[in-house]
Amino acid sequence: MTFAIKVENLSKCYRIQHGVPAGSLKELVEHYRRKFFSKLMPRLGDSQPDPYEVTYEEFWALKDVSFEIPKGAKLGVLGRNGAGKSTLLKILSQTAEPTSGKIYIDGEISSLLEMGTGFHPELSGRENVFLNGAVLGMGRTEILRKFDEIVAFSEIEKFIDTPYKRYSSGMQARLAFAVAAHLEPEILILDEVLAVGDMSFQKKCLKKMEEISDSGATIIFVNHGVDAIKQFCTHAIVLDHGQLMLDTDDIDQAIALYLGDDA
Amino acid sequence: MRIIEAGASNQHYWSGLWAKRSLLFYLTRKDLIVRYKQTAVGVSWVLIRPFLTMVVFTMIFGSIANLDSNGLPYGFVVFAGVVPWFLFANLFGETSACLITNGGIMKKLNCPRLIFPLSILAVGLVDFFVSFALLIGMMFWYHIHLGWQIIFFPFFILMIAATATGIGLIAATLNARYRDFQQLVPFLLQLGMYLSPVGYLNQIVSPKWEWVYSLNPMAGIINGFRWTLVPQAITIYTPGLLYSIGFSIAALIIGIIVFRSAEAGFADTI
Repeated sequence: MTFAIKVENLSKCYRIQHGVPAGSLKELVEHYRRKFFSKLMPRLGDSQPDPYEVTYEEFWALKDVSFEIPKGAKLGVLGRNGAGKSTLLKILSQTAEPTSGKIYIDGEISSLLEMGTGFHPELSGRENVFLNGAVLGMGRTEILRKFDEIVAFSEIEKFIDTPYKRYSSGMQARLAFAVAAHLEPEILILDEVLAVGDMSFQKKCLKKMEEISDSGATIIFVNHGVDAIKQFCTHAIVLDHGQLMLDTDDIDQAIALYLGDDA
Repeated sequence: MRIIEAGASNQHYWSGLWAKRSLLFYLTRKDLIVRYKQTAVGVSWVLIRPFLTMVVFTMIFGSIANLDSNGLPYGFVVFAGVVPWFLFANLFGETSACLITNGGIMKKLNCPRLIFPLSILAVGLVDFFVSFALLIGMMFWYHIHLGWQIIFFPFFILMIAATATGIGLIAATLNARYRDFQQLVPFLLQLGMYLSPVGYLNQIVSPKWEWVYSLNPMAGIINGFRWTLVPQAITIYTPGLLYSIGFSIAALIIGIIVFRSAEAGFADTI
């Protein structure tokens, strides 16, 4: 079995800050006065703790995660808020670096991490299709070739020359998905792409995702709604507090674990 | 097969930048189009700002302070300073803020971050050549003829771009963590406009202090820029010019090194 992505002992650590640092000069002076006294004359020190003391703590968003995605698989990533899903996707799409661990990738990755990345509110829908296409990695000729198809898919032909900022959120989401759906990636990362848009458009999205998958692409799909995962995915992983709980091709089992976690 | 691990994003950096040239094109296009959307006079803003600056400076330095212009029309002296200064100020100001203005794209998209300063450079050069055309028009108006020295003109543009982008990259890197630079840079640019020979000629600085004055790299650059246009009226202060050349090269190299060293963490710190 060949893999599209192989993740080995992946960890990501963030440093989080506790306390509010001194915001003004007066507070800064107070902070250093307290520091000075507590060091040199502990007996004369203030009884109350320094309100401007800042401490740092390590937070492991992902800890020692390993799994493999076979070529052509449709992987669902499940996990509650804070489980590490977004961090994992960020690292896969290379917007954040891992702290340790390795990922082997075979194929070109396209990621749609949030609807409308690179869309500019002042530009028209048409101009945004080109801009977003470039952001997602399409060349000019490729966009030109697919332009009509993209617009038809989004169902907003009439408003294609209207500034994007005047679109409803549903229209914005439709156009964004339409552009992304016409990429021809080998690996496609989709994060909460179905969050906006009505039922019929969601169905259309899923159908398009099937088509992309049928063309041989590997798809990594994050969604809070389990129905779409159940319907679409062939594999699933469940994350909790940065750790991999389950890696399976039994979707029902993964969903049960995920929902059980919720309770 | 690609491998992602800590520190691995540094491999294939420059070829990755080339691969994203289509993105660079559209980012630049976006910046050019978006700036003057919903404005009444549109692109004319590119000319209005330097032009009004020229008018005010000509009044203050030429008419009120009555500074020496070496026989040149004072308005031309000022505009030949304003045009390169605006290029510098735009590039430095925008580059220092580029990680914040592009924060949204940056968090979601894996691309070489140097693409943002590059698109700022492209936009800045377009603006520059628009106002430069006006400057050339002004020379026709005053019957000032260009000499062969104009061939050195691109050289000074390169120096401005290197200096502004270089220190802009350093400021952008620091800005990612310390937003103080968002306050500091516009303020520095405001002061710099008076410290640089924008509203007056370098020649009014007494020779005794010329070396101190030339510590500002823009002093040598703007003077050289004027020299390529009107060589008969401008004398080059060689040590100052050499210093400016050295400064611009060093700024660009150090700027890129600093920016690159912090680049992997930008999406996390911004």
